Amino acid sequence: MLIPVLIGMSIITFSIVHAIPGDPAKAILGDKATPEAVAQLKESMGLNKPMIVQYLDYVKGIMTGDLGTSFITKTPVAEEVGPYLAATMELSLAAMLIAIFFGMNLGILAAWKHNTKLDYTAMVIAIIGVSVPVFWLGLMEQWVFAQDLGWLPSNGRIDPRMAFESITNFYFLDALIQGDLEAFGNALQHIILPAIALGTIPMAYIARMTRSSMLEVMSSDYVRTARAKGVSEFLIIYKHTLRNAFIPILTVFGLQMGLLLGGAILTETIFSWPGIGRYVYEAINNRDYPVIQSGILLIAFIFVIINLIVDLLYAWVDPRIQYGKE
Amino acid sequence: MTKTLLEIEGFKMHFHTDKGVVKAVDGIDITVGEGEIVGLVGESGCGKSVTSLSVMGLVPTPPGKVEAGRIQLAGRNLTQLNAKDWRQVRGNDIAMIFQEPMTSLNPVFTIGSQMIEAIRQHRKVGKTEARERAEEALREVGISRKGILNEYPHQLSGGMRQRVMIAMAMVCEPKLLIADEPTTALDVTIQAQILDLMRRLNREKGTSILLITHDLGVVAEMCSRVVVMYAGQVVEETDVHTLFRDPKHPYTMGLLRSIPQLDKRSERLYSIPGNVPNPRKMPTGCRFAPRCEHVHEICLQSNPPLFEIAKEQHTSRCWLHDGEEKEETDRDRTREIVGS
Ligand SMILES: Nc1ncnc2c1ncn2[C@@H]1O[C@H](COP(=O)(O)OP(=O)(O)O)[C@@H](O)[C@H]1O
Ligand SMILES: [Mg+2]
Repeated sequence: MLIPVLIGMSIITFSIVHAIPGDPAKAILGDKATPEAVAQLKESMGLNKPMIVQYLDYVKGIMTGDLGTSFITKTPVAEEVGPYLAATMELSLAAMLIAIFFGMNLGILAAWKHNTKLDYTAMVIAIIGVSVPVFWLGLMEQWVFAQDLGWLPSNGRIDPRMAFESITNFYFLDALIQGDLEAFGNALQHIILPAIALGTIPMAYIARMTRSSMLEVMSSDYVRTARAKGVSEFLIIYKHTLRNAFIPILTVFGLQMGLLLGGAILTETIFSWPGIGRYVYEAINNRDYPVIQSGILLIAFIFVIINLIVDLLYAWVDPRIQYGKE
Repeated sequence: MTKTLLEIEGFKMHFHTDKGVVKAVDGIDITVGEGEIVGLVGESGCGKSVTSLSVMGLVPTPPGKVEAGRIQLAGRNLTQLNAKDWRQVRGNDIAMIFQEPMTSLNPVFTIGSQMIEAIRQHRKVGKTEARERAEEALREVGISRKGILNEYPHQLSGGMRQRVMIAMAMVCEPKLLIADEPTTALDVTIQAQILDLMRRLNREKGTSILLITHDLGVVAEMCSRVVVMYAGQVVEETDVHTLFRDPKHPYTMGLLRSIPQLDKRSERLYSIPGNVPNPRKMPTGCRFAPRCEHVHEICLQSNPPLFEIAKEQHTSRCWLHDGEEKEETDRDRTREIVGS
């Protein structure tokens, strides 16, 4: 399952990247370069070979852990991508936690207080949430909370004046390992605005799905049975209902995660977040093929892994699903 | 005469919906004595489930609203309980099993965890003891298979699930078991086994049962007394022998005629003509009048009260039996209400 998806992804990224108009050699050398110089550079980058050979070289490279070498920095992608990847994962995780925590609780609240003002308010928030574009929300946040009120920083992962040495590239982890609470707090301040911008749409989708799925389960026979046993309302909601309602919520969760990775590119650009999104964005401007290809492939890989985790969660939540067993 | 356990008096449960008021239960009196099995019969939509859910306090309010009357269990007025007290009654004093065994157990929890939850909800026992009690309760309903506690509902057949439901209902030894069409969804042989099981529990544990069904065959087999409901009201009440030998209300007669009979196979199965009235627009007169063969002028003008017929304990809501109106006070005096 994993392998064919990745093969497919590699073909798609390769094709898209090569469909981008513009010549990387010209982009590197500038407009005034001589045709000879351009041809020479092309040859050294392997761009004069037939497409199919270029693709096979690329796949062979991936198999051996070689993601190509950046045209611009002349550094292997596999070596320089680490910090970018970590930054994106940190941001996505923060956004997802916000989306799950607020989304599910908003949905639960709305279902529990079904057809009351609270329910309507929660759903209006959710409708606004799904329709707000990421970039607009990001810019608004910067304007209000960073510029106007000056509460939170609007750029980067951490204050560069801080003497902070990163080991794993995951700043929160590092700060905790080193017991540096100040750095932890500073990183937290930096992540709040981009995480909210990125998490709002999935939050709204999760809230809507949670509500409808909770409502459906709440009127089910087995919830009535639980009530007939004398089970408290809290356990009815958080144990009997939520566990079942979680099954469709998980589906939305998996889908939203994909969109979230897409949104990460926008968010990172707006908030100068040094993640894989910005890495690829800059590579696109520079026609840096190896970086674009590998960057997109890595994002696809993360997406596949997340869906794998979601599938495993299904089996954990729903005993009727069993993989590999009949 | 046995002591009264459950006493429903003049009870009305109406639903206030956007499209009008549904008088689902509109003034009913039902009593169940200790150790008694009482049948509640009537066509689909006549208010049987709403009645049983009202006794459990499980009717959603709103849209439901108790308009009048009360429900007493062993002298305690249930209609005035708060949410916390209700939780102590449910599963402990009154338990309930439902029509659809396939969907009545939570699919994501094991049988064991659902049974243990029922026990620990009302009894202060440890996990191990609760497990033993759960196993014991399952043995009582004829499931002694090892490892059943670790199985999930989808691994069991419908009949097995209904047994589990019964075991779960009985773990706290409730005084009253409400069974809302417990066998309707099961096939005939399984149906007979489940009915047998309920009869045995009634005999051995003395649990009273309010058995809701639309199947008069089930009533004949199980019940000592029968209450017939039509359009949210009781139309006839009597002991089971009298019901089959000498039914009084035209609706009951119609129900009896529509039972398929083995010796008259060739005959086309009878069914009462017409439909149940729209619960939002009940007829002004007798609610059965539009479908009744014996309809008179008066039937269309006013709804008859319950008339006492010949001997005690047989009532009929039909102008044909307008002899002496049922005297509430007299009848009440003959009852021994527990706790008063
Ligand atoms: N929650 C509800 N809201 C509105 N109407 C309801 C509700 N529950 C039941 N009713 C109505 O009450 C009437 C009686 O239903 P019910 O007790 O389920 O009938 P049955 O005798 O088949 O068990 C029906 O007309 C039904 O539509
Ligand atoms: Mg019903």
